[in-house]
Amino acid sequence: MPIQYYIALASALFCIGVVGVLTRRNAIIVFMCIELMLNAVNLLLVAFSKMHYAKAAAAGAVTTAGTEGQLFVFFIMVVAAAEVSVGLAIIVMMYRNVHSVDVNFLNRLKN
Amino acid sequence: MILVWMIVILLIGGLLCWLTARANEHAAKWVALVTMLIDAALICGVCFTQRVSSINTWIVDIKTQWIPAYGIGFHLAMDGLSMVMLLLTFFLGTLAVLCSWNEIKQRTGFYYFNLLCTLAGIAGVFVAMDLFLFYFFWEVMLVPMYFLIAIWGDTNRRYAAYKFFIFTQAGGLLMLIAILSLYFIHAAQSGVYSYDYFDLLNTTLQPSAARWIMMGFLVAFVIKLPMVPLHNWLPDAHSEAPTAGSLILAGLLLKTGAYGIMRFVLPLFPQAAEAIAWWAMLLAVIGIVYGAMLAFAQTDIKRLIAYTSVSHMGFVLLGIFSFNAVAMQGVVMQMITHGISTGALFVLAGMLKERLHTRDIESMGGLWSSLPAMGAVGMLFTMASLGLPMLGNFIAEFLVLMGAFTANVPLTVIATFGLVFSAIYSLRFVQKVFLGPSTFQKPLPDFSAREFVMMAALSIAIVWLGVYPQPVLDMVQHAVQAVVTK
Amino acid sequence: MDSLQLQALLPFIVLASASVVIILLIAARQSHTVIQITGFLMMCLVVLAMWYVRDVLPRAIMPLLVVDGMAAVFTGLIVFCVLIIGLFSFIYFEEREENPKEYYILIFLGTLGAAVLTISRHFISVFIGLELLSISLYALIAYLRNRNNAVEAGMKYLVLAAMSSAFLLFGMALIYMDTGSMDFDGIAKQLQTQGHSPALFVTGIGLMMVAVCFKLALVPFHLWAADVYQGAPVPVTNFIATVSKIGVFAVLVRFAQAVQLQSYHFAVIIISFVAIVSMVGGNLLAIKQQNIKRLLAYSSIAHLGYLLVAFLPGNAAGIEAGMFYLFAYSITLLAAFGIVTMLSGRQADADQLEAYRGLYWRNPLMGAILTVALLSLAGIPLTAGFIGKFAVLNAGVQQQLWLPVIVLVITSVIGLYYYLRIISTLFAETQVIFPKEKSLHPLFVAGTYGALLVLLILLLGAGIFPSAVIDGIKNFLCQGFRIINF
Repeated sequence: MPIQYYIALASALFCIGVVGVLTRRNAIIVFMCIELMLNAVNLLLVAFSKMHYAKAAAAGAVTTAGTEGQLFVFFIMVVAAAEVSVGLAIIVMMYRNVHSVDVNFLNRLKN
Repeated sequence: MILVWMIVILLIGGLLCWLTARANEHAAKWVALVTMLIDAALICGVCFTQRVSSINTWIVDIKTQWIPAYGIGFHLAMDGLSMVMLLLTFFLGTLAVLCSWNEIKQRTGFYYFNLLCTLAGIAGVFVAMDLFLFYFFWEVMLVPMYFLIAIWGDTNRRYAAYKFFIFTQAGGLLMLIAILSLYFIHAAQSGVYSYDYFDLLNTTLQPSAARWIMMGFLVAFVIKLPMVPLHNWLPDAHSEAPTAGSLILAGLLLKTGAYGIMRFVLPLFPQAAEAIAWWAMLLAVIGIVYGAMLAFAQTDIKRLIAYTSVSHMGFVLLGIFSFNAVAMQGVVMQMITHGISTGALFVLAGMLKERLHTRDIESMGGLWSSLPAMGAVGMLFTMASLGLPMLGNFIAEFLVLMGAFTANVPLTVIATFGLVFSAIYSLRFVQKVFLGPSTFQKPLPDFSAREFVMMAALSIAIVWLGVYPQPVLDMVQHAVQAVVTK
Repeated sequence: MDSLQLQALLPFIVLASASVVIILLIAARQSHTVIQITGFLMMCLVVLAMWYVRDVLPRAIMPLLVVDGMAAVFTGLIVFCVLIIGLFSFIYFEEREENPKEYYILIFLGTLGAAVLTISRHFISVFIGLELLSISLYALIAYLRNRNNAVEAGMKYLVLAAMSSAFLLFGMALIYMDTGSMDFDGIAKQLQTQGHSPALFVTGIGLMMVAVCFKLALVPFHLWAADVYQGAPVPVTNFIATVSKIGVFAVLVRFAQAVQLQSYHFAVIIISFVAIVSMVGGNLLAIKQQNIKRLLAYSSIAHLGYLLVAFLPGNAAGIEAGMFYLFAYSITLLAAFGIVTMLSGRQADADQLEAYRGLYWRNPLMGAILTVALLSLAGIPLTAGFIGKFAVLNAGVQQQLWLPVIVLVITSVIGLYYYLRIISTLFAETQVIFPKEKSLHPLFVAGTYGALLVLLILLLGAGIFPSAVIDGIKNFLCQGFRIINF
């Protein structure tokens, strides 16, 4: 499959994520959208990693090209998990304070 | 070394004031007075021992590295012009301490600290020969002056202090960009990164570059001077500041602008300055007439004096841009005599305010009968300010007009009319304040001994400069010659 | 990894172990005081370790990290900031009900993240460093969880920072596709060959710039700054304002140096645009603020804009200027927020301007320190901020970046207005009697005052004798430049 398909799919996922973060009011859904963005990037990285490997292999060498991309995916997954754990904790605190997970309640900080 | 000492003594004195006031509120003013007297003695010592001659223009010269990474040096030097300005600085500085003696009752330590720091900055401006250092001192005198106005000023002090600070800072930053541009152009030509005045003098500039860079310098200086469209900060700052603040503003801070033009703008950019000379003279003349007219319309005594400053500083600008030695000597004389006469008027206004608790001349009147000595002195300095012969200002204005006449006849003629206006506002001032029916019934105290000493010193100075100005003219002759021949 | 590489990483290993040590201490139920002192000593140990390993620098730890002179400067600055913030944290959290111990784990983890950013030369290490910093910050901002503000600020920062990280990753992925490499030198090498597509590269850089601008709170990605600064506990605000910005700027500088970012026209345009709108926007938004934390947030937006002007030239002078500016800005903000910390009470932070009315007369030392810090932010001479601004202007004028330089000058005059507003509040009269604060452990009160005094001395010292700092940065950078092509 040509690489453009992967890029298009990942971009679409990423954009859905961005739109979701900007428009949804439920904090948990906002969070899911952020995860969606991160996963879009993961998809891209895996695809590119495969692409670079294929390019190098086509040139005939035994190569490690492309491993970085796959490695990076693991780091992103780990970090995303950490981010979610802290994020959910904050959402729980928010629920305790305002009894809602609606982000529109977050409007007290003003001059 | 003596120049460094002068500045350091002021700073140490300031710190001592700050510290001693915590123990005793009265100690601070004595410390401040002693500091000023030491400095005045130092400069008088230099004045009597050193002679300026055409070979030895620069009497004192000290130069070391400061921030070598940027080619910034610590370079102080003094020629005749600087020496005259320093004499004026320490003379008026001493008087500023004296006239705050009873006026400032709260927070005296911090007050004298700021006062002495301002004077240190002013002294630094008059002797700094490294452009970065000059800018440094230029800004250093600003902050304590801001505090003097903002803390010890009158009712509208905050507004006046903001305006003063922001106007000056805006000009200052433009000057900083101009200095940097000059620095890099010089570095590109000679390969030497230096802010030194004497190095930068040798820079050759493209006419367009010279014009822009000169504008940067000029804006900073004419804001301080002030020239007419940029004079807006001056009446507010002068009228809201405490007496010593007004004295220093009118007597010294305005002079730094004139000094800057003479020291930097003309020698560094002779062609570019000549190109705008006509416009500068035009604005100067507008300033003379406009300042005089506004002074006539004021009812606030300090505002009135402030507008006379605008008018008088117009003569300074006129003289500077006439480019001849006579006018230039007149400019220096005008700087000194204006410092003394306007300073004296501000001190007088402060004394009146202390006694009457008002600055409104409509509510004064007939004070001569209750305050004869003050009336006489007030008369003397009003006459000085309108340019009566035998008093210093006459010499100054006469020399300026004589010099300007050779440069531009029509503008000089209009400027001469400014003198007529000045007679009108001066007489109105005397009329309203000292003559007419008396409005105050209770007896008012005339000069105390301290006030008498101050006024006597100022009166002697103004009369002496009017009768025998030759020593001053001799002192600045070589410096002026150097500016004009460039 | 050989032993020399391990040695070069020693400071970072010590830094990482600091959090572990704190966890163990908490497990052993030690008191806040013990944890505070241990944390302080661990930070001192990091500094000692840096001194110890100075000879093995510069050294690359392939493929992720490189420890060189630039990293040493930035890390040193970060550790210094954390030392001071740690001291301030004690008195701040000791007054609050909540358990303050875990705070130190988070703050040291965040510090580690920022330190990793300064030494990373690979996308993976950049990402790890950044997330280490961000995730600690989410928790730190929301640390005082019973205050609704804190949770709100934490939530806002969480959503926006996570989104910006996603942008960063997307940009990285595109550049990876374009060049097939993730380490900076590999990317730079690929860019020199013809086989890459500019469109992908431009998009990638653009997306990464979004994330960087977000982290540095530059306009148009500044919306979180004011809310987060206001909602977070004061020491955390201080941490965000200094440590996180130093880390992100360090990685920006290193990446730009590797790929010669400033040689691309589009990048220069983007950065200039961001710098200009940040300077204008930050200063304009700050004018009307009554809340000092929000005001400092907007002013820091403007300051990061000034910093970008130094980043624009992309030469050694620019980087030096940027480093000096960051140094000056950091110690200034440390001092300013230190005062805010000292004044904050049990219930709420001292963030309203009213809380500062007449501070100078109530507590001269604190008033003086805050005044100097504000003057330094405004870039007035005698303070480090002036030399910083001068260095930035120097770099800008040298490259003839007239538009950013002029905007810088104009906006700093605007900025002056609101700094003066705070300063005049500090010196205003006050009748309000402020309740006597609860007496804390005298050792820490003394320590906090000591830290404030050190900052004051640094502020003035770097303003009057900046040579030592400038030369230090230069020396370290020379080490750094040797390593670029290895």
